[in-house]
Amino acid sequence: MILLAVSSGAPSLWAPEWLPRLPQRLVEMICQALGAPDWLVAIAGFIAAAATVVGVFLGGFALLSLIERKTLARIQNRIGPNRAGWFGILQPVADGIKMLTKEDIVPAKAEWLLHLAAPILIVVPSILALGVIPYGREWVPVRLELGLLFFFAVGTLTELAVFIAGWASGSKFPMLGAMRAISQMVSYELPLMISALGVIMVTGSLSLPAIVEHQGGFHLGFIPAWNLFSPWGLSAGIIFYIASIAEANRCPFDLPEGESEIVAGHMTEYSGFKYALFFMGEYLGLFAISGLGITLFLGGWQAPLPGLGFVPSWIWFFAKLVVVIMSYLWIRGTFPRVRIDQLMRFAWLCLLPMALLTLPAAGLWTILNRNDHNVLAWLITVPLLLIPWLILTAIYNRRLAPQTRTYTFADS
Amino acid sequence: MDQSSNIHRLPDPARAARWSLPGLGLFKGLVVTAQNMIQSYYRKERMTTVQYPEQRAPISPNFRNFPFLAYDGVDPVAGLRCTACSICEKECPPQCIYIVLDRDANGKSLKRPRIFDIDVSVCMNCGICSEVCPFDSIYMDGEYELSTDDRFDGLLFGLDRLAKSADYHMKLRPEQATEVAARRKAEEDKKLATQAAKEAKAKAEQAKKQQELPGQHEKGADV
Amino acid sequence: MTPLLILSPLILLAALGAVWLARPVHAALLLALALALTAVFYLTIGADFIGLVQFMVYVGAIAVLIVFSLLITRPGDEAEELARRPRSLVTGLACTLPVLAVLLYSVSRSGTAESGAADSPAFTLEQLGTALFTTHVPAVMAVGVLLTAVMIGAALFARGAHASSVSRYASCVTEATIKPPTLSDP
Repeated sequence: MILLAVSSGAPSLWAPEWLPRLPQRLVEMICQALGAPDWLVAIAGFIAAAATVVGVFLGGFALLSLIERKTLARIQNRIGPNRAGWFGILQPVADGIKMLTKEDIVPAKAEWLLHLAAPILIVVPSILALGVIPYGREWVPVRLELGLLFFFAVGTLTELAVFIAGWASGSKFPMLGAMRAISQMVSYELPLMISALGVIMVTGSLSLPAIVEHQGGFHLGFIPAWNLFSPWGLSAGIIFYIASIAEANRCPFDLPEGESEIVAGHMTEYSGFKYALFFMGEYLGLFAISGLGITLFLGGWQAPLPGLGFVPSWIWFFAKLVVVIMSYLWIRGTFPRVRIDQLMRFAWLCLLPMALLTLPAAGLWTILNRNDHNVLAWLITVPLLLIPWLILTAIYNRRLAPQTRTYTFADS
Repeated sequence: MDQSSNIHRLPDPARAARWSLPGLGLFKGLVVTAQNMIQSYYRKERMTTVQYPEQRAPISPNFRNFPFLAYDGVDPVAGLRCTACSICEKECPPQCIYIVLDRDANGKSLKRPRIFDIDVSVCMNCGICSEVCPFDSIYMDGEYELSTDDRFDGLLFGLDRLAKSADYHMKLRPEQATEVAARRKAEEDKKLATQAAKEAKAKAEQAKKQQELPGQHEKGADV
Repeated sequence: MTPLLILSPLILLAALGAVWLARPVHAALLLALALALTAVFYLTIGADFIGLVQFMVYVGAIAVLIVFSLLITRPGDEAEELARRPRSLVTGLACTLPVLAVLLYSVSRSGTAESGAADSPAFTLEQLGTALFTTHVPAVMAVGVLLTAVMIGAALFARGAHASSVSRYASCVTEATIKPPTLSDP
């Protein structure tokens, strides 16, 4: 069978570049050998591809839950979990067993159907969103022409699911948490989408593989032509990064689920496997949105230096994913939580204007570079982005500085 | 009212309103945590975890838990310092000590306890029993791994569990134990010295009497 | 045709539930479901862009807005709303039946397309974008002006309410500080 595949001119089954497609092609080969009709072979192949994506990212989720705890622990002068297996490697297994064997409590005042539907509705968009990201040169699970739009469309379904989770629990903390969560997600979606708009404008396509291919090549021989390494791209990338932390409800924007604030927000009344699904949805959403950020700004599966083309492209993608996720963990361990009003003020008064400014900057950059006015491009776009930012921070420093207090009774 | 007490600790508004490089504070914070994380691998002061069952954090000499009875030498019955005087039983605020004096067949006190029970579910670790003991016999222990699954008999410590040697006391509280040992040795030495002096005096008197009898002294000669 | 046959009863049921159910949140969620199914329908007939935008805008923004406003405003007494049901049903029917009649009439007048749904779309995304910003620019500008006016109005409303409540609080505080409460000697 393998000889057949090789001799038919298809790329080698075991070539490193094609390794992610291995399960799909194995399944297709087996089904074809068993004599199944074409449509069944195709469906079996799709199922295998989806299972590969979900399996890899669920394994990544389990690993990430452990690595997050150990990294946060080291930042906080302590060792993380190290009792379950060597260096705690079986801790995710222990967590999984715990979540599965916990009693599933549904409050009496809750609507059981919506209470059940909410965790499912939170996990499904994250998994769908993982399907359009190009992980390698030959590996996009679903090659959609409107991939980016699809990603954002399923992302907005998460907000509704958070509301359903909060409202269906029938108690105060979830409702309040759901309100805060929705307002946070809606406020930060605007800068997210507008910063992605700049990329779409420059690339001229909504298809994610096309965006990655547009970022191939190197400036000056060794600087990769990623979108991050241009003034508008840096600004849009930073905005996207901050907005993605807020979209994923991570610290410092994890007010909707902070334990000292609101117990667990919209997840308060969930226990056992449903809570595990929320947890999983949050981490898978984190993977999806950092994958999108890498695709849009960090060049996706492109190698960082010219000579490193022999390394399979999906390894570059996952290396970048590891770096981005580690930065999320680092930020989580460093910054305190922001209040809801600080959060909203930051989104609407700082991120949104900066995001809106990246659009003309991106347009000017592209037009000027297309006509070979490289220096002029730098000279125009950098002040266009830098000066409003400095003005904004000056306003913030003045407005948010603590005021002198006068004590009526203490001074007398 | 002291003007300088709490108003000084407020951040200076003039300094905060001045423009500074945006993001510098965030960057400094990130550097601090990165330093913490990397140095926790090789510097002791950035990794303060004590992995409990395998390692134990050292307890301070001032820590006290439940009492124990000290004995000298190796025999917990013969060397027990406690004489069952029951002062600690009477002074204990929650009355958790129960002492029964050991008497011989004739009813004479043997100056040691037959039963000495402390109910540690009642004991409040105040240390009064240790302060009032005149015989340096009851001290506060530092053992904290006392979990049991029987909350009645498992928490009633009898003589077999309470008696611990003076060497243990020395290891637990060296300062206190050396002071007690020195004091007891001094008392012992003094007792031996007075006993030796008494014996010497008695011997001298005896020798004098023996000298007087064969010599047939006249009784009134030296008056 | 089969996607339409499967989807339209579901959409109708969801829409009926949205107007019939007593609890407002249930109705809002069923409305979101009806809009989502409409988006699915658009996707099945090959209008990818419209389907995804329908999902993103209607389900992701408008349904969330409706649900949010339900969360913030306190819903009225449900018993009294249920008691008012027959009269409001009549009013509703009186308003919607003419609209339905007009719709059915216009649909029957247009030629129904017998061709399959999965033809290539009539125009691409780029053509749509170019058309929006060249031939239909006045409409886009009008919508932009309208949205800007709405946003400014909303900001002013919010600021006005906030300012009045802040000023009320401030006046209370100043009153309390100017006349501190005095203790009378016993």
